[in-house]
Amino acid sequence: MILPPFTLHEPKTVDEAVALKTKFGKDADFVAGGTDLLCNYKYEINAKPHVISLGTVTELKSFDTTRIGAGALLDDVMTDSGMRRDLPVIPAAIGVISSHLLRQTGTVGGNLMVDTRCFWFNQSKFWRDSISGCLKSEGDACRVVWGAKECVAVYSGDLAPVLITLGASVTIAGPKGRRVVPLGEFYEHDGIKRHVLGEGELLVEIRIPTEARTWKASYRKLRTRESFDFPVLGVAVAAKVDGDLLLDAHVNLGAVHTTPLSRDGAISQFIGKRIDEATASEIGEAVADGLVIHNNTAMTPAYRRKMVAVFTKRCFLDVTGKRAVAETASR
Amino acid sequence: MSQPPKEVIKFEVNGRTVEVAVRPYDVLLDVLRNELDLIGTKRGCDQGSCGCCAIHMDGRPVLSCLTLAKWAAGKKITTIEGLANPEPHPLQTAFETCGATQCGFCTPGFIMSAKALLDRNAEPDEATIKEHISGNVCRCTGYLQIVEAVQKASEELLEKDRPHDASVVERNRQTHPAGR
Ligand SMILES: Cc1cc2nc3c(=O)[nH]c(=O)nc-3n(C[C@H](O)[C@H](O)[C@H](O)COP(=O)(O)OP(=O)(O)OC[C@H]3O[C@@H](n4cnc5c(N)ncnc54)[C@H](O)[C@@H]3O)c2cc1C
Ligand code: FES
Ligand code: FES
Repeated sequence: MILPPFTLHEPKTVDEAVALKTKFGKDADFVAGGTDLLCNYKYEINAKPHVISLGTVTELKSFDTTRIGAGALLDDVMTDSGMRRDLPVIPAAIGVISSHLLRQTGTVGGNLMVDTRCFWFNQSKFWRDSISGCLKSEGDACRVVWGAKECVAVYSGDLAPVLITLGASVTIAGPKGRRVVPLGEFYEHDGIKRHVLGEGELLVEIRIPTEARTWKASYRKLRTRESFDFPVLGVAVAAKVDGDLLLDAHVNLGAVHTTPLSRDGAISQFIGKRIDEATASEIGEAVADGLVIHNNTAMTPAYRRKMVAVFTKRCFLDVTGKRAVAETASR
Repeated sequence: MSQPPKEVIKFEVNGRTVEVAVRPYDVLLDVLRNELDLIGTKRGCDQGSCGCCAIHMDGRPVLSCLTLAKWAAGKKITTIEGLANPEPHPLQTAFETCGATQCGFCTPGFIMSAKALLDRNAEPDEATIKEHISGNVCRCTGYLQIVEAVQKASEELLEKDRPHDASVVERNRQTHPAGR
């Protein structure tokens, strides 16, 4: 497949990147590792005439356990000894993103910004033309929810739910300078709008509060194959515990909504309780209760909803030490 | 829109410096295959999902189907053609003797993934080998022979570092008698 023609820009600094994006506006996309964007471009999905490559912006690449540059490579962060020691849930979650080969060029920022997915849309141009497209591509109707005015494509990144439960925030650079936004407020409903980035803005870094190191965290991912597949469900839990006593907790779900979905509201009644099999099951049911999941990824909504309860239960057993934290984040 | 112009980039491929005119939207896979005649690197899915197009860029195994050619400027690229020296690399021999290749379409990608692993970790355990080839798909052999071939190559490379110990080389030959 030949990529649709574009002009490639290779800025050296964040300011140059912002200036280019401000200049070209909606006619330009950023590209970091390209493992999401170039796949979409090959399918002629919303390709732009200008592409601004961030690989040459050195400021974006560095990381430590308090901040991760948006351009840090997934494999580098995953294999970092400090990260493994202080925040092991991050390497565990990165270990289930795409594949070993893709993680060599895929970046953390690109992962947070990964496009929403839907099986009516992540298809070749030829295929999409046969259904006259959809809201997010060339068409004007949603193929998932009849008559819907908003796109329900699913947020399918693995890291965002984990980083949100850890209380991370992101630094954004734009034409008016820099601002910091909690990652939990970064994503916005609608599979087309997706996030709060405005004109000319890009992600610079992810900040992780040092307090996160004292929390126990777990991530579990449902997918068709053990390698390669985007999540059809991701459950992230981070908790402050004293043995099996739950002092505080955050739950965030990936791949069930257009954004990472916080379920903190559903678990407040369990704060201050001791966690055993029975309470962990109750938490699982509470988190799954009332979820609206659309039928637009590889597994059925009914099954994914059931697995929300199962994985949430397992995550709570993980964080209270009732169950060995999985060596990999799957299952 | 008029098509963006080509630009000449310079990089090293298999130890040789090349200059080639590329379009901004060319991927490295196409440049290697169509401009430089290095057709050992295969196009499987063209979407990052099969690993057939794996090459090394400054020592890292990357997918050339998702790497813009311009990103190769100034870099050191190694393709499957760059492994023999001039004898086949122990991985290439091991894939043959272990029956780890059938149609062979996936083989260059697997070997490049395995080579990157052995460069980093001379004696990987089975789980590590599986993890490092998990970005590659084979539709013919199944994966057992491929894992075995990587183990065998790792043993042979370690032996090469100790060339005096002929008895171990002989023992390895006997445990892998499938040579043709
Ligand atoms: C076969 C396959 C399987 C995959 N499986 C998974 C999976 O299981 N889980 C998962 O999470 N992902 C998966 N991915 C997607 C992708 O590989 C990862 O999400 C990766 O982290 C994306 O990073 P990148 O640097 O390659 O992003 P790019 O493709 O370069 O960019 C992705 C998006 O982010 C934007 N962007 C990048 N950097 C910035 C920045 N600094 N500021 C603003 N915008 C930016 C780009 O404009 C683009 O819209 C898969 C991809 C493939 C091809
Ligand atoms: S051709 Fe590049 S991964 Fe399949
Ligand atoms: S040998 Fe045929 S695909 Fe692997």
